[in-house]
Amino acid sequence: MTIDNIIQWFQSWFPVNVMVLFITSVLIAAVVIFAIMAVNALVAVYAERKISAFMQDRVGPMGQGPGLHAGKWGLLQTIADTIKLILKEDIIPKAADKKLFIIAPFIIFLGAFIALAAMPFGPYLIASDMNIGIFYILAVSSFGVIGIILAAWSSDNKWSLYGGMRSAAQIISYEIPAALSLVSVLLLTSTLSMQGIIQSQAGTVWGFLPNWNIFNNPFSFLAFFIYFIAGVAETNRTPFDIPEAESELVAGFHTEYSGMRWAFFFLSEYGNMLVVCGLTVVAFLGGWQSPIAGVMEGAWWGLFWFLTKLTATIFIMIWFRWTFPRLRVDQLMNVAWKILLPIALFNLFGVAIWTLLVG
Amino acid sequence: MKNYFQNIWQSITTLLIGLGITIKHMFKARKGNVTLQYPEEKWPRPERNIGFDPKNYNIIRSKLHVDIDDCIGCRKCERACPVGCIKIDALKVPKETDLGLTSSGTTKRLLISRFDIDMTECMFCNLCTYPCPEDCIFMTGGPNSEKQPLDYEYSQYDRSRLIFKFANVTKNDIRRITTAPPVQQEIL
Ligand code: SF4
Ligand code: SF4
Repeated sequence: MTIDNIIQWFQSWFPVNVMVLFITSVLIAAVVIFAIMAVNALVAVYAERKISAFMQDRVGPMGQGPGLHAGKWGLLQTIADTIKLILKEDIIPKAADKKLFIIAPFIIFLGAFIALAAMPFGPYLIASDMNIGIFYILAVSSFGVIGIILAAWSSDNKWSLYGGMRSAAQIISYEIPAALSLVSVLLLTSTLSMQGIIQSQAGTVWGFLPNWNIFNNPFSFLAFFIYFIAGVAETNRTPFDIPEAESELVAGFHTEYSGMRWAFFFLSEYGNMLVVCGLTVVAFLGGWQSPIAGVMEGAWWGLFWFLTKLTATIFIMIWFRWTFPRLRVDQLMNVAWKILLPIALFNLFGVAIWTLLVG
Repeated sequence: MKNYFQNIWQSITTLLIGLGITIKHMFKARKGNVTLQYPEEKWPRPERNIGFDPKNYNIIRSKLHVDIDDCIGCRKCERACPVGCIKIDALKVPKETDLGLTSSGTTKRLLISRFDIDMTECMFCNLCTYPCPEDCIFMTGGPNSEKQPLDYEYSQYDRSRLIFKFANVTKNDIRRITTAPPVQQEIL
């Protein structure tokens, strides 16, 4: 269901001004995407807290939820947290650059938000299937770094500024291996459209494996890992969380934020996870394609497969976070420039040769 | 060059080991974790085994308790308390009214309409318990275990809930008992 579909559908019912139709359809899509992000944050925060607790032999949130204080699972914990965040005072430091301080969280949020517009959740579920989808996502998801720098700068706080600088350096560095490994996928699929990339991954390869790009050839297999590592770095999550390194920088670029504005940072962090994991799933894991070709296919199964793969990749991200210690700044740059970049370049070359020779 | 690849290989393998450890912990979490959901679950109190019987303890400074049925309202405890956290109101009753006996056989002459102990102020000095002629104010547990079991977990969400109100007579009781029948009062 793209926006174009909605417009056409509306037009057949209410023959009104196209502009009005366009705005309503975009609004509908925007609300849906916002809902997806909100639900994702709600579930992912809870899952993250529970999983991290289990990995550290704790029990995690237990209080809120059915049965309240003796609640077994703390299912309503995130909702309680949200209510708390909404009720909290919105503090703006005296020395802060007020205008920038106020809009910065929303700019970060926007980066993740508009990237999801081109994310195919199923064979027909995509807000806008443009022919340069993957390029668009890469372009707008880097948008968030501007917000981070704005937040850091406008807070007028040394910790924030350090965090912002680190974040900018990190995101810019890791964008290169990420983009290079996506380019190697594009060589295989020869399209930039998200749906096109997924459609080209139908069928089987090597006899039994699904024809996902990760299994297509050894080089794209490696490219998957490079993209995923770089993707984790782009979301500023541990082990690449030096921008908010809580033991060094208090909370990095969002040190000065509180209440709902802070919640927006959180929302966009999880939104970024969604974008990165979604892109991984689309580019390497066959998007909404079923793992067994020809079995359980269709619009709703497509949605199911996409969400399953998304959940799995998000779980891996959470798993990373609660396993690995944070990298030092120099190590971080080392990994990006001395390890990921050469391998990604080599990979690109390999995939090019492979497509030339094999198919 | 060899070093470079060795380095990468080493980091990959060690990271995988780390991932293995965390996932293993995740799946045995429900059995292996040691978190105690405190107010719902409690550790069993360990056996007290320091050489003599808990009944021979001098005192355990746990929580004050008053057997209000035995109290004769002499207010000795109130006067003994250094911080003044015991508040007693004892009303005179007409001579003929029978308030019963205490467990040691003393006739009760006063009606205790209020017996409040503010545990937020109490400093657990135990001084109030010694002068009591009826042994009815005491700390729970220890030598008094048969009278009141040990209780030291009585934290509350609200501070006012820590003011223990021991008096058990209602307003109605007070009115009924203290107002003597008019005929008898004329005789007096
Ligand atoms: S223990 Fe001490 S402070 Fe507490 S009520 Fe008795 S005399 Fe007062
Ligand atoms: S000393 Fe004992 S009998 Fe006297 S008022 Fe206090 S508790 Fe009651």
